[in-house]
Amino acid sequence: MTTVSMRGLTKRYGGTTAIADLTARIGVGVTGFLGPNGAGKTTLLRCLATALAPDSGRLVAYGLDTAVAAERTALRRRLGYLPQDPGLYPNFKTAELLDYVAVLKELTDTGRRRAEVRRVLAEVGLTDRATVRVRKLSGGMRQRLALAQALLGDPELLILDEPTVGLDPEQRMLFRALVSRLGHTRTVLLSTHQTEDVGALCERVLVMRAGGIVFDGTPGELAAQAEGRVWVSAEPPSDAHVYWRNADGRYRTLGPRPIGGEPGLLSIEDGYLTLLGAEAAAAGSGDAERVS
Amino acid sequence: MRGKRRAPVPPVTEQSSDGDLLRAIAAAQRDALQLLHRRHAGWLRFRLSGRCADHDVVDAALQDTFVAIWRNAHTYRETSAEPAAWIWTIAVRRLVSALRGPGHRWLGGPVPLSDVPEEQLALVPSAEDLVLLHVEHGELGTALDRLPSELRAVIQVTAVDGLTVKEAARYLGLPEGTAKTRLMRARARLRELLT
Amino acid sequence: MRWHIDGDMFAAYQRGDLTPSRMMAVDTHLQACATCRAAVPQDPGWLDASWSAITEMLDTPRPRPAERLLTLVGVPHHRVRILVATPALRWSWLGATVSVLAFGIAAALAGQSGAHMTLLLYLVFAPILPVLAVATVYGPPVDPMHEITSVTPVAGPALVLWRSSAVVGLSVVIGMLGAAFVPGPGWWAVAWLLPALLLCVSTLALATVLPLIRAAAVFGGAWLVVVGGAAVAGSPVRPLMFGPLAQAGYLAAAVVAGVVLSARRRRLDPGEMR
Repeated sequence: MTTVSMRGLTKRYGGTTAIADLTARIGVGVTGFLGPNGAGKTTLLRCLATALAPDSGRLVAYGLDTAVAAERTALRRRLGYLPQDPGLYPNFKTAELLDYVAVLKELTDTGRRRAEVRRVLAEVGLTDRATVRVRKLSGGMRQRLALAQALLGDPELLILDEPTVGLDPEQRMLFRALVSRLGHTRTVLLSTHQTEDVGALCERVLVMRAGGIVFDGTPGELAAQAEGRVWVSAEPPSDAHVYWRNADGRYRTLGPRPIGGEPGLLSIEDGYLTLLGAEAAAAGSGDAERVS
Repeated sequence: MRGKRRAPVPPVTEQSSDGDLLRAIAAAQRDALQLLHRRHAGWLRFRLSGRCADHDVVDAALQDTFVAIWRNAHTYRETSAEPAAWIWTIAVRRLVSALRGPGHRWLGGPVPLSDVPEEQLALVPSAEDLVLLHVEHGELGTALDRLPSELRAVIQVTAVDGLTVKEAARYLGLPEGTAKTRLMRARARLRELLT
Repeated sequence: MRWHIDGDMFAAYQRGDLTPSRMMAVDTHLQACATCRAAVPQDPGWLDASWSAITEMLDTPRPRPAERLLTLVGVPHHRVRILVATPALRWSWLGATVSVLAFGIAAALAGQSGAHMTLLLYLVFAPILPVLAVATVYGPPVDPMHEITSVTPVAGPALVLWRSSAVVGLSVVIGMLGAAFVPGPGWWAVAWLLPALLLCVSTLALATVLPLIRAAAVFGGAWLVVVGGAAVAGSPVRPLMFGPLAQAGYLAAAVVAGVVLSARRRRLDPGEMR
């Protein structure tokens, strides 16, 4: 079922186009946005979170048109947003900050609001930090606090811009457990640089590049983009290839098949890099020296 | 990973002393407070219930007590009082506070025992005197039982509960001067009865 | 320890069946004897409930003095949270307001030559301070958390108006406190309040057409040009601009601006979604 739909979404900053004519339908579940810096991920997520108005195009979420003020407010009651730069007030205590955001989210009943603050603190594992000031929290804790505020009010639409930045492996695992649980009933949109996050969490991946969507499919389909491009060989390939030595002492190549190369296991990262043509750029005119 | 308000405090266990727990609480260790709660909430409730029949008031006072301990543990000095006595003083003040309602919040944070003027401590039998009192055949016990109840009440709240004369006066709803006089009379009567 | 409390004695204590001296003995003994403290009959369910109530209290932020005051006055708790968290209410702004006021009061108290000029400067600049704060109640440059607050349902006009109320309210309180320090009628210690109110409300009313910061610049600038210009031109600024007639005019104009603002408040453009 489609919960979020965008059509012809465009946003320019001065002369540069951040996102151009994006059209997509997204449903319940976890959808990941992958892409290099400047691809337009953050701009798109800010539009979806109603923090930014697109220059043109239509954006409807849960039947609410973000261009209409009243509907935008109604949508804001149902969304949680973790921005890339949350800017949490440093002098607030953890629970106090959440309480404040909960007030802004119209949780006016004091008892209910406190219960909700405790719930989200527990979700992100910050219960014992409730009375610590934000400026004394570590980077990872701040990121978890920023995530906690997005969870306030149990929103149906969760927009998370680079949620795993600053998290250590254990916290990242807990984050994945939390998000995949939410993904059963909620629409979760997240952007990331981490291809492992996408593989572990997302049912669907959208790869963005230069303001457009260049891939839309499952993580498996993304990995399959590298079909016929991943090789392992006993001898180092020629200098025209980008390769590295695996733990087993063999050489792994992404690109044209080197001499003696056998097909290797495909990863999401391979698919992503293939899609962006990154290996071609790195290897220069690799195609001209293809050996097969 | 834990609070960093002061020098690192070793992790606490079931075996830690009350003093160690209070030091860990001063360093913002939540588990230390939980251990302290597990160790002391039961008897505090038992004693507070002897002073107030309303369970809700007792429970609220007890919760306030541990919140106050969490916030004031850094003011605890091992030399000035036994931890249990210090905790009890907070608890009984919170109970009185709760009974008097928010309009009568005359009891602030815990007052260290050292703030109680010497002459007041000298006026009454010390808590140690009372502990040593033999329940079955103690002379002091008999003497206390024979005291008029209004005099005994003053002894109770000052010597046993550890309130200052000023606090005792408000607890008992008396002018401070009256409480002081009664305490002196109680002291004199006890001396009479014991000799 | 020569004796310990047994189960019968605990039960008798709870029933209130002990003689007064034995009650006292149990009390004092408990305080001194860890063994007997541990032997007090326990209820595990109660213990857990008590602990969770305590953690809840610990996790609940303690209200600050300003919050307590507002709650006492009858402002609902969630409104109080919004008011006290207004980002424009910074120490720098408070400091500026208090020091401008202090200069004015000092000049009045000293009553010497030169005091006239200080007083004039004070009356010209004091009304601008709340306008500066109103101009910065909302938006990314002053509110680091704007990205989060701007996508909440109260974002937009509602939040701008609440935060502006906090700023204007605090200005009034500071002005009143200042008046208390001034001997005599002290009317001019509060003389800046009505102009300030007019400027703030007009700024917000104009912000239904222009972005907030520009609206503030229009009215703040107009005030400086008119009053400052009059002062430079040597007009009798105090009776002319702060006399009873002028004050009545400010009040009337502020009411008009308030009506305009309330009619157009949904169009209040705090520069969101840009």
